Amino acid sequence: MRKTGLVLLTIIFVVLCYFTSASAISVFNSGWEMPKSIDGNEARYRLVLITQDIDTPFWDQVGRAAMDEAEKLGVSLEIWGNYGGHEEDFLRNLEIAIQSKVDGIIVQGLDSDDFKELTRVKASYYGIPIITIANDVPIEESLRRTYVGSNQYEAGQLIAKQLITDMGDSGDVVLMYNQNVEYYQGQRLTGIEEVLARYSNITIHHAQTSNSREDIVGSTQSILNQVPEADAFIAVNANTVGAMVQEIGKRYQIEPFYIYSFDDGPESIPLLEEGLIDAVIKQTPEQMGRDSVFIMMKWLNGETVPLDAAGYLTDIQVMEAADLNE
Amino acid sequence: MSKIQKKIWTVFAIVLVIMSAIWIALTYYNNKTLNQYNGILERYLNMNEVTTASQQVINALNDYMLNPSLDNLEEIELSKRQVLLAKSHVHKLRNEDNDFTLTNYIHLVDSFIESTNRFILFYSENEIEASTLEFAEATSISNHISDMTLTLIDKELKTYDKFYLGMIEQSANLKELGIWLILLIAFILLVISYWFSRSITKPVLELTKAANELSKGRFDLQVKVETNDEIAFLAKTFDHMRKNINKLFIETKHKARLEHELQQNQILLQESQFRSLQNQINPHFLFNTLNTISKKAYLEGAEETSDLLVNIAGLLRYNLKQMDRSVTLKEEVGVLKQYMEIQKARLTDRLHFKLDVEEDCLKQIIPPLTLQPLIENAIIHAIEPREDGGTITVRIFQQGEHVNIDIEDDGIGMDLDKIEQVLHEQYEPTEGHSTGIGLSNVVKRLKLFYGVEDALSIESIIGNYTKVMLKLPRQKEE
Repeated sequence: MRKTGLVLLTIIFVVLCYFTSASAISVFNSGWEMPKSIDGNEARYRLVLITQDIDTPFWDQVGRAAMDEAEKLGVSLEIWGNYGGHEEDFLRNLEIAIQSKVDGIIVQGLDSDDFKELTRVKASYYGIPIITIANDVPIEESLRRTYVGSNQYEAGQLIAKQLITDMGDSGDVVLMYNQNVEYYQGQRLTGIEEVLARYSNITIHHAQTSNSREDIVGSTQSILNQVPEADAFIAVNANTVGAMVQEIGKRYQIEPFYIYSFDDGPESIPLLEEGLIDAVIKQTPEQMGRDSVFIMMKWLNGETVPLDAAGYLTDIQVMEAADLNE
Repeated sequence: MSKIQKKIWTVFAIVLVIMSAIWIALTYYNNKTLNQYNGILERYLNMNEVTTASQQVINALNDYMLNPSLDNLEEIELSKRQVLLAKSHVHKLRNEDNDFTLTNYIHLVDSFIESTNRFILFYSENEIEASTLEFAEATSISNHISDMTLTLIDKELKTYDKFYLGMIEQSANLKELGIWLILLIAFILLVISYWFSRSITKPVLELTKAANELSKGRFDLQVKVETNDEIAFLAKTFDHMRKNINKLFIETKHKARLEHELQQNQILLQESQFRSLQNQINPHFLFNTLNTISKKAYLEGAEETSDLLVNIAGLLRYNLKQMDRSVTLKEEVGVLKQYMEIQKARLTDRLHFKLDVEEDCLKQIIPPLTLQPLIENAIIHAIEPREDGGTITVRIFQQGEHVNIDIEDDGIGMDLDKIEQVLHEQYEPTEGHSTGIGLSNVVKRLKLFYGVEDALSIESIIGNYTKVMLKLPRQKEE
C-alpha cells in the first residue's frame, strides 16, 4: 500500500517535472530574433524599379530578373509599383524616389507631362539618373539616360505581319489604343499601320479609350456598332485586351475574330492560354530587368559614359495561341 | 538543539527560496519583455516624431509666410532642429530589413530640410514665386515623409511579425509554465508538509500510545521513538521513567511477597512451638507416671506388669532422648529387646522372635531408632494381619568390612513396586507407628549417616517372606 503510494507519488513528481521543464525550455528557447541592426553607413547603391503595374506575369519577371541581377552586383534594389496602373500613385512613387535621393531610378516610361516634369526637372535637380524600361519616353522630353526594352515599332510590325499571315490581305482591322497616345503605343501604331498600309484591302479602324474598364467596354461597344464587319482586333495597349475580349465575347463568338495584343498586360498570357486571343508579341522581361540594372550600374560606376541614348533593345517574338496549345 | 524549530525553519526557507526564485525569474522575464516592447514602441515613436516635427516645420513656414517676423523664423529654426534630432534618432533604427527604406526616409528628411532652407532663402530674397513653389515642395515632401513613416511602421510590423507572434506564443507558454510550476510546487510542498507534519505528529502519537499503555499498567513495553528531535528526548525520558516505575513496582511486589511469607512462617513457627511444647510436656509426664506405676506394680507384686512398664518407660526415654545422636548397636539391640517384650505382652504367642547376634558387632555405631521401625513394620505387616501369628528373625553378623543386619518375617511379602517406592523414600505409611518413624525415614537416615547408597535392601517373595537387609560399613565408637 505504502509502496504503491510511494511509486504513484514518484510518477506524479516525474510527470510534473517533465512538463514543467518542457514548458520552461519552450519559454526560454522561443526564438524571436530581432533583425540585425546595421551600424555605419554601408555605401551600397540604392536603385528603385518603379512600374505602373505590379503582380502581373510580365512585371513579375522583370522584377525577379532585376532583383537577381542587383543581388549579383551587390546593390540594393526595391521595386515599387501599384495595382491597376494608377497613374497618380505611380508618379508619387517616382517623386518620393527622387526626393529620397536614391542612386538610380529604373522606371516604366509614362508619356505624360507630369512624368516628364519629374524626370526632366526634379530628377536632374537631384542629379538622379533615370533609365526607362519596357515603355520608352523620348529622351528629348524626359532626359532619361537610356531605354531598356523592346523596339516597339518593330513589335508593331511583327504583330501586323502575324495578322496578315493569319487573316490574309483583306479585312477590317480595329486598333484599340489610348486616347492620349503614349510614346510606346505610338511606336507600335506606326509599326502596325506601316505594314497594313501595304495592303489596300485592309481597312484600319481606330478605337480610342482610356485605361478605365468602363471606357474600354464603351469603346469596344461603339466600335462593334460602327464596324460590325470587323475581322481583327489589335489591342495596342495590352492592358485593354482583357476587357475588350470580354466585351466582344458578350456579343459574338470569339473564335472567328483575329485578336492580337502584347504580353505586358496582366491578362495577355492567360487569355492566350485560353485561346481567346490569337497571338501576342512576346517580349523578354527577364532580359529587360537584368539589363536595366546592369546598365545602370555601369553608368553609376562610370564604366560606360555616356549610355547609348537610343536604348538597349531586347528580343521580341510572336507567340501564337496555336503554339501554346500544341 | 531545537530540532522541530529547525525543521519548521527549513520548510519555510525552502518555500521562500522557491517563491523568490520564481518571482525573480518572472520579474526578469517580464522586464526583458517589457524592454523589448518599449524598444519597439520607441521605434514607432521615433518614426512618428519625424512626421510630427516635419509638420511643425510646415506650420512654422506657413506662419512665417503669413507673418515674416523674426520670432517665426526662430520658430522655423527650432522646429528644423527638432526634425534633425528626430532624424538622428531614426538613424539608429536601421536594420537589415528596413535599410533601404530607412535610407530613403533619411534622405527624404534631408530633402525636406534643403527645401525648407531654399524656401527661407527665396523668401528672404523676396522671390515670392520661387518660395511658394518651395513651400509646395516642402509640403509635398512632408506628406511623403508621413506616408513613408506609415510605410516604415508597416514594414516594422511585418518585420516584427514573427517577433510578435513569438512573444504571444511565449506568453502563452509562460502561462502554461506557470500552471505546471504551480502544480509542481504545490505537489512538492504537499509532500514536504506531509512529511514534516508526520515527522512531528508520529513521535507524539507513539508517545501517546506509550503513555496509554503505561496508564493501563503495562510497564514492560519499551517506549521507542526513532527521531532525532525533542520528542525523541522526551520519549527517552519517558522510557527512563517507565523503567524506574517498573523497577519500583517489581520491588514492591517482591517485598509484599516476602512479607506474606514471613507472616506465614511466623504463624507456622508459633504453631510448631506450641506443638513441641505440647510434645515435651506429655512424654515427661507420661514417663514419670509410667515409672511410678511400675514401682507401684512391683510393690503390689505384679512383677510382670512392672517389667512391662519399665520397658515402655525405657523405650520412651530412648525415644525422647536419643534422636539427635548416634548410639551403639548394643544400645539399639537393648531397646529392640524391650520393644519386643512389650509386643510379646500384646501379641502373646502369635509372635515368635528370634535374635541372633555376633558379639563383635555390638560396638558398631548406628543412628538411633533404626531397628525398631523395621521390626515394628514387620509386626504390622507380617504378624498383626495373621491370626496364627508369625516369626520375626533378626540376625546381626559381620561380613568383611560390613556389619550386616537381616530382619526377616514370614508374612505376605511385598511386590517389587512397593520395594522400589520404599527404597526411594516415597512410601510413607505413617499409620500405626508408635514412634512416628517410618521405613523411608530409616532409609534416609542410614544414607545420611553412612554416606552410602545401598545401606538398605529388601528381598521378598509374595506370600512367603520379606527380608530387610542392612549392610553397614564398619564404624566403631571411639
